[in-house]
Amino acid sequence: MNKKNFTRRDFLKAAAATPLAGVWKSGLGHGGMQNEEEKSRVVLIRDKNALVSLKQPDAGAIQKMLDDAVATLFGEKNVNDAWKKIVEPSDIVGIKSNIWRFIPTTTEVEQAIKKRLLGAGVIGENISINDRSVRSDPVFQKATILINARPMRSHHWSGVGSLIKNYITFTPNWPAWHGDSCADLAKIWTDFSLKEKTKLNILVMLTPLFHGIGPHHYSQKYVWEYRGLIVGRDPVAVDATGLRIIEAKRREFFGEDRPLRPPAKHIFLADTRHKLGNSRPEKIELIKLGWKEDILI
Amino acid sequence: MHNKADETAAYLEKLVPRQAGKWKAEIPGDVYGPETIFDYIDGAGEVYRSYNFKRLLAVRYAKSGGPDIVADIFDMGSSEDAFGVFTHDVEGRKAGIVNDSTYKGGLLSFWKDRFFVSVYAEGETEEAEKAVLELGKKIAASIPQTGERPKILSLLPDPFEREKSRHYFHTHLILNYHFYVAEENILDLDNKTECLLSVREKSGSLYILLLVRYGDRDRARRAFERFLESCLPDADEQNAARTEDGLWTAARNKGPYLMIIFNSPEQKFGLDVLDRWEKMLPREKKDHEPVV
Repeated sequence: MNKKNFTRRDFLKAAAATPLAGVWKSGLGHGGMQNEEEKSRVVLIRDKNALVSLKQPDAGAIQKMLDDAVATLFGEKNVNDAWKKIVEPSDIVGIKSNIWRFIPTTTEVEQAIKKRLLGAGVIGENISINDRSVRSDPVFQKATILINARPMRSHHWSGVGSLIKNYITFTPNWPAWHGDSCADLAKIWTDFSLKEKTKLNILVMLTPLFHGIGPHHYSQKYVWEYRGLIVGRDPVAVDATGLRIIEAKRREFFGEDRPLRPPAKHIFLADTRHKLGNSRPEKIELIKLGWKEDILI
Repeated sequence: MHNKADETAAYLEKLVPRQAGKWKAEIPGDVYGPETIFDYIDGAGEVYRSYNFKRLLAVRYAKSGGPDIVADIFDMGSSEDAFGVFTHDVEGRKAGIVNDSTYKGGLLSFWKDRFFVSVYAEGETEEAEKAVLELGKKIAASIPQTGERPKILSLLPDPFEREKSRHYFHTHLILNYHFYVAEENILDLDNKTECLLSVREKSGSLYILLLVRYGDRDRARRAFERFLESCLPDADEQNAARTEDGLWTAARNKGPYLMIIFNSPEQKFGLDVLDRWEKMLPREKKDHEPVV
């Protein structure tokens, strides 16, 4: 990675050049070239009935949301045909989950994914769901395919907990990735050969956290029932879309533009510095399905 | 992973009450150290590591039909670091538990002696708030010593010494969290450097004052020169420069200290602050560090 030391003065120069846009979002100051590839398709789906209660998703609604989103993402009418584009029966599949006790990926989302993997012919013993122990999990060690699924939430150290960040547990030394507000998390995806294996990213937006307090960075006061999933092949595009919703919720709640602290710059640097995917809205084809009330994007 | 046997953990257990209101403690609690804190805290774990924390005891309190309450007691090793981690987040109303205590959104935070304490209700009810505050009072009462704030606080010049928003810390990770200076550690901060960041908000502007105390003069001098080279290459003879946002940044080095003022609307204001600060410094004795 070839990067210069980015200082406050560079930040101010970039801000002067893009007064109406976030500096990190512009990618300026790093001399980063924008990705030239085609737009990344992202599907946002919401269902008013996705939750039985704040902590309890409705399994049937979740399955339908995931099915509709995946079918749309891959341009298929039948969800099973879409999953055949993701996996083959011989594949070994790791479902990278997130177990944060306040807002986990949820069993309902995990099982909805697993059900479709089984439906596509992958045998049960070749599927594992894991978060903290992926390095010692024999299925993950041999995995040919990864499905990445986690909730988005504001995060004390990286701005937001994101799909990009979800892969930090593949590394042996987590603190090594914490520098500069976790700026270079996207490098994990290439350093640990995860980019090519990851065929589907699912950002769980059922009950996102848009602000945090205290050591655990959690307060129920700052959780809202958005009842959505965001699905895509490009993790950066999915994260960037989720982040726009979190930012919109913060504006709505606080009545002013209150930036996340620290900024979620790892998402934009994943694009401008690490070329993992597209973060700019103009490079994202966003398809919205389902419930539209208070969609915030 | 959890070491419940060590002495610190045993001492921490003595600090927590078995009951607050109708909430009863689930004893023993869980103990974490610098290497295991990420098993418990996802996000802010790096904050406590940056303040040299030694042990954390987490105790959950439960009551039928009420939200759980969690008491986290951090042994920070020194009262300076307990104070420092408290200043990481100074939002909230005064809780009146000890001199430095805040309450917001179901969360009580305070420091006393070498301990930083956080008591948090997982749901907000009037009864839970009372229990949180009662729990905090009991924990504070069980800590016999008061502890002292860092002495470097006395070296903040007017008007910054009056500000509530003061952050005491050591590392550039925490500096960048509060105020982004540079991606690399150009100020050569580590777990032993003492840093004080004071934020003054006036008429919609934020004035930022950073004071750093190094272990020796040479290191402070090198950090000062590197800061000028990296961030103020266009500085004038008074080591001040107008930055791209039209505001002034100025820096000064004296003995083992470095002071930088950011976002000054006028050059004169920034330089006056630095002049006042320089006059506050203890007189140096030959071949000895000034003592604060």
